[in-house]
Amino acid sequence: MRPQPPTYDDLMRVTRRHFMGTAALGLGAMAMRGIMAEGAEQALKTHFAPKAKRVIYLFQAGGPSQFETLDPKPLLRASHGKPLPDSVRQGQRLTGMSGYQATLPMAGSFVDFKKYGQSGIEFSDLMSSTGKVADEICVVRSMFTEAINHDPAITFFCTGSQIAGRPSMGAWASYGLGSMNENLPAFIVLVSQDATKDQPLYSRLWGSGFLPSEHQGVQFRAGKEPVLFLTNPEGVSPHDRRQMLDTLAAMNADQRATQFDPEVDARLAQAEMAFRMQTSVPEVADLSKESEATLAMYGPSVKTPGSFAANCLMARRLVEKGVRFVQLFHQGWDQHGGLPGGITRQLKQTDQPAAALIQDLKQRGLLDDTLVIWGGEFGRTAYCQGKMTKDSYGRDHHPRCFSMWMAGGGVKKGLVHGQTDEFGYNIIQDPVHVHDLHATMLHLMGIDHERLTFKFQGRYYRLTDIAGKVVKPILA
Amino acid sequence: MRSTLLLLLAISAGLQAAESEELVTFNREVRPILSDRCYGCHGPDANKGRKAGLRLDEPEGAQLKLKSGQRAIVPFDLAKSAMAERIQSTDPEEVMPPPELHRPLSAKEKDILLRWIKQGAKYEAHWAFVTPQKAPLPPVKLNTWPRDKLDYFTLSAMEKVALQPNPEAEPVTLLRRVSLALTGLPPTPEEVDAYLADKSPQAYEKKVDALLASPRFGENLAVAWLDLSRYADTYGYTGDGAMFAWPWRDWVLDAMNHNMPYNQFLTEQLAGDLLPQATLSQKVATAYNRLHRLTFEGGSIAEEFRQDGIGDRVVTAGYGFMGLTLECSRCHNHKYDPISQKDYYSLAAMFSDIVENGLLPYHGEVPPPFVRLLKPEQTTEVASLKAKVQQAEQAYQQTLKAAVTSEDRKSSPIKVPAPVAYYPFEELTKTGTPNQVPDSKPATFERHRGDQLGSVELAPGHVGKALSCDGDGGLYLSGMDKFGRYVPMSFSAWIQLGEKNKRATLLHASGFYTNDADASGLELMIIDGKLRWSAIHLWPSVAVSIQTTQALPLKTWVHVTVTYDGSSQASGLHIYLDGKLAPTTVERDALDTPIREATLELASRSRDAGFRGGLIDEVMLWRTALTNAEVALHHGLPLASLTPEVLQEHQLLRDNATVQTAWNQLQTARKALEKVEESAPKFFCMQHADTVLPTYVLTRGQYDQPNLQQRVSPGVPTKVFPWSNQYPSNRLGLAQWLTDPRHPLTARVAVNRYWTQVFGAGIVPTTENFGLQGDAPTHPELLDTLAVEFQESGWNVKAFLKRLVMSATFRQSSVASPKGREIDPANKWLARGPVQRLSAEMVNDQALAAAGLLVEKIGGPSAKEDEHRRGVYLYRRRTVPPDSMLIFDAGSRETCQPRRLTTNTPLQALLLLNEKVFVQASQKLAANLSQKPNLQPEEKITLAFRTVCTRWPRPNELKALTALYQQELQAYQKDPAATAKVAHQKNPEVAALALVCNTILASDAAVTSR
Repeated sequence: MRPQPPTYDDLMRVTRRHFMGTAALGLGAMAMRGIMAEGAEQALKTHFAPKAKRVIYLFQAGGPSQFETLDPKPLLRASHGKPLPDSVRQGQRLTGMSGYQATLPMAGSFVDFKKYGQSGIEFSDLMSSTGKVADEICVVRSMFTEAINHDPAITFFCTGSQIAGRPSMGAWASYGLGSMNENLPAFIVLVSQDATKDQPLYSRLWGSGFLPSEHQGVQFRAGKEPVLFLTNPEGVSPHDRRQMLDTLAAMNADQRATQFDPEVDARLAQAEMAFRMQTSVPEVADLSKESEATLAMYGPSVKTPGSFAANCLMARRLVEKGVRFVQLFHQGWDQHGGLPGGITRQLKQTDQPAAALIQDLKQRGLLDDTLVIWGGEFGRTAYCQGKMTKDSYGRDHHPRCFSMWMAGGGVKKGLVHGQTDEFGYNIIQDPVHVHDLHATMLHLMGIDHERLTFKFQGRYYRLTDIAGKVVKPILA
Repeated sequence: MRSTLLLLLAISAGLQAAESEELVTFNREVRPILSDRCYGCHGPDANKGRKAGLRLDEPEGAQLKLKSGQRAIVPFDLAKSAMAERIQSTDPEEVMPPPELHRPLSAKEKDILLRWIKQGAKYEAHWAFVTPQKAPLPPVKLNTWPRDKLDYFTLSAMEKVALQPNPEAEPVTLLRRVSLALTGLPPTPEEVDAYLADKSPQAYEKKVDALLASPRFGENLAVAWLDLSRYADTYGYTGDGAMFAWPWRDWVLDAMNHNMPYNQFLTEQLAGDLLPQATLSQKVATAYNRLHRLTFEGGSIAEEFRQDGIGDRVVTAGYGFMGLTLECSRCHNHKYDPISQKDYYSLAAMFSDIVENGLLPYHGEVPPPFVRLLKPEQTTEVASLKAKVQQAEQAYQQTLKAAVTSEDRKSSPIKVPAPVAYYPFEELTKTGTPNQVPDSKPATFERHRGDQLGSVELAPGHVGKALSCDGDGGLYLSGMDKFGRYVPMSFSAWIQLGEKNKRATLLHASGFYTNDADASGLELMIIDGKLRWSAIHLWPSVAVSIQTTQALPLKTWVHVTVTYDGSSQASGLHIYLDGKLAPTTVERDALDTPIREATLELASRSRDAGFRGGLIDEVMLWRTALTNAEVALHHGLPLASLTPEVLQEHQLLRDNATVQTAWNQLQTARKALEKVEESAPKFFCMQHADTVLPTYVLTRGQYDQPNLQQRVSPGVPTKVFPWSNQYPSNRLGLAQWLTDPRHPLTARVAVNRYWTQVFGAGIVPTTENFGLQGDAPTHPELLDTLAVEFQESGWNVKAFLKRLVMSATFRQSSVASPKGREIDPANKWLARGPVQRLSAEMVNDQALAAAGLLVEKIGGPSAKEDEHRRGVYLYRRRTVPPDSMLIFDAGSRETCQPRRLTTNTPLQALLLLNEKVFVQASQKLAANLSQKPNLQPEEKITLAFRTVCTRWPRPNELKALTALYQQELQAYQKDPAATAKVAHQKNPEVAALALVCNTILASDAAVTSR
């Protein structure tokens, strides 16, 4: 049987630092679990053979509209400007922003769709690059969620609960599987610097919640210091730092010999890991060694540090080095008004790099065991919020249906899963809840979502709470 | 296979040993298994369909004959007990717990259950729900060892497992340990020297007393309570704006430093506003229940977030005061503990007794209810100004009365005053519609959002044309602003309803609805067809408002006039229909704060329902409150139709100089009061209101699914401890219930938390969960005795902490003996002293203090890192907590955090070696040491080590640090540029020492209390 990960209470006991001798179960070993030697056997075995060893999650924060991206609705376009029939809405709740609107005129997509590849999946003209990798992609048109406002919805998507304080997806992956590289964290977060910052992001979205803090996402930033406090203070050379660590080792060895506390060793091991990160992180963050051909794939903005394109390339470099879970955040999708202009800008920034990431992973043989996910926290309404003009309209938040795509890592290629009604208001076939997506993601990583648990405050918590079903039809 | 074999062995061994087998204890051995594996389906929660009708949490249910004809448990009879068979089955369809649970019973656990049934399957009440009793001192062998009664309990437990207590720790080690435990800061080398020089037998006790008396005590003790109370400096959701809360934090610090009894500490926070003659400080204490997050995200539904806030209060009080996981009962009955969903909502009714909106006001106003933080001299001033307002009110009323009876009447002809705006809606221009008043501005189409939907058109009106409204379009009455709290005004219009408007905005002065969470300013609404006329600071708490009793007719022109006299009283609001005063009810009558004075908007509001399907004509505005007589004339009623009272009222208000003078004096008094009151900051708090929204059980915890059959009143989980009618049915009653000496949880939870603070782990290790899924106490009799004696001491916190640190148990050396390590690796039996990694705050404070950089100032606004205050004062932004706090395991303070985990990560090493505060502290400490020219390098290093780690370095440590110093000295001597960067001066010795100091700060000796 697979050994259960330690519970909260186990950890509390362990961290009282009274483990005897150099017992392999001491916190040192436990902390080291997340930082195994590169290519080494994973400390904790999966529940079954994984299809995806790593995940790159391209989170599109703000709620991208499905109508101008992945879910074509000819009838809605034909009904542009007419009031949304009440029979479609079924009295479901709206946000306080458009809930009092006297009229709810339907808004058809301003942009055309085309079929791509052998699979013939339809993408909007704004996603023509993604269209080129259509045959690698599985589009899910039947996603739904529970929350209707950004903060609760994005918290729900990233942690499986609207309530703040639960561990994030990547933290669960780190806790369950650890890293495959001793010199890099298991869970890394990249935030686009070129995005329109319409809705904020919160550290809770990549936090470890009640899991030990070693599992929290480490944010890689653009610029000289990709990880906080990575750089030695001015005037302190790597050699000086080495001397300091050697001194620390000598001091701690003495402490260990007099206190009989294995925690001392663990602390030293962490300092050594920090030292190695000081070399390994700048190395992996340095895009200058990438070939011109590769850079060209991702588009011109790849040369702007921190852009979505640069982050996509960075994500590839990170998973190549064995990072377990990389999550990108790209804000700016909250188009309550002026949607045509806004979404055109968004896809100009993201379409080519996301497609390039798929191609790049594929050409390096990484796509088969890397799961790539693209999507936001909810979708947008079929009706117009605010003023509708000849070439502009807006859309309010819509949790009842929206679209995402996935690629690689054990997902069927060239598939469209699920269907919405002809107005794109409700799901009519194969609904996929957020918990289902989480269950499927963990399943692909070799984890039974019902068995990856952590006892906290008397309850066994899971990423999927008490729900979640693996979406079997999309598994390759 | 192997486990089956083991099981068989275990069972056969058990059977063979039947006569001599050990008695099973239900509370310690059986219940944890039943709770963890069985109660989820066979426990107290019947709502979700208890499986097979079987209930294992009480004997009646467990022994009941089930539909299958079997009984789960037949005491003393394994063969007849279905449970025995099911738990031993190898058939996946049969075995219990079912494989889907993924938590199979171990052989040992099965053996416990089987022995329990065989021994009669006796149940015991859960220990934590039984009133604690003092236990007699247990017999001990080493009776010279105990110093406090508590030592008998720990020693007795040690002796049971054949452990000996450790010798007392080295004085310096003990001094560091007790200083950190009580004040969060280590002693300075001078303090150490003085302590060692004090040879009196009371030296340690004197030191303990001094530490307890230090203001640093509260700064340290408060941290755990701030975690539990989710105290922070921002509201936490979208935008994460500043939350003015630090006066509450200072209240906590002050309470702790002044040794407020714990029962009072609890009562003032839960119910300070309900205490007789509540003081300002007691009201500030109640902000405890307001510290939860609040959102102003556009489109948020107020009720959803109001319920979340109430739920947060319930859960936080559950963890903080009761050690219960109440949130489980929000959606269903608790799966393990005797807390029903109804109990949860009864507590919710306790905590929802304030008038609140549920959302955060958009423009930074303090969300009501609030109290004003008046300085003492202002308090006196306000009291006297309030008295003056009252006098002026009385004087005004008397003047009115006197004038009525007075014969001296001057009567001028009644004339409707000239309006300041008149929009007849005869034409619409590109930008709006003209205002007929000379030199005035037209109404415009200007909107809050450029892309706002809707428009207005002209249609046949009452007179000529009228404004036809689509529900989204409206007009801005530009140039008509500044209708404030003291400005009398009137608005009149002909309106016609085209449909039964459930909600429609006719006139308002706010920004956009829900985002403002308040709808502030003047506001005329249609609510379910009735007119509601209000002057609002923040809805619904701080407002005056009246509403007509009758709905307006459909498709009929009605002449509506509303007036406000500038009095901030509901009695100063009037609604007239077709020239006659309309019957109204008072909806709100509590306006003591300025209202928004923004531009008025007609017929629509961004994100709110507008006047859909309606017509508006002949809009007029006055900067005076029209009298009833004027309104009548304005409508065209004949003078002869007016009653003598109406005429007389008009005469008094318009023509009587004495009345006007009295009125002006009253308004002047009101403004004078406002001026002083508004100069003081507003502070959110609890303020009990008698009429609040009813509380219902929410189906599955959903805010929009109240079960209207299940209305609840304020209450508690009575199976934990019964309610008594002598308690008032409110938060004060809740506090009395909790602090009842017979309450089984309150004192236990409190002493256990203080114990944890001192010993690193609780007697109940799950400090936040005393329920069935929590850990059993390691020393149950000790916990109960401490709990009772804590109450008997008058809930004296400092005395209790003193007891703990004076004990022989606390004073032991923490170095584990080989036997201790073998028998008790986790130090459960306390045969050695505690070892704790320093908290995030302590790591910060120690470094700053060592360098002499720590700014010691008690309380006040929260500080940024570079202000060098203690960690407890660090500005806590909830969505982006301080890095140094997160990295060392402090939480985000978004919700209640009952315990911190202790981890060990590379980021901690990076922080200690590279972060600004620690680098700066190293440099400063080095620079300070270089000021002591008489000291040799070894002596400086020794002093640096002592300053940070308290003890003297051992020879090997000193050797390693000195070697580092020498190597770095040589390196920096050759590199003046690097020297300048590290040392901030030319002296390479300082640079080398700075690196030494930084190494010390990152060492185990620095970040650990041993």
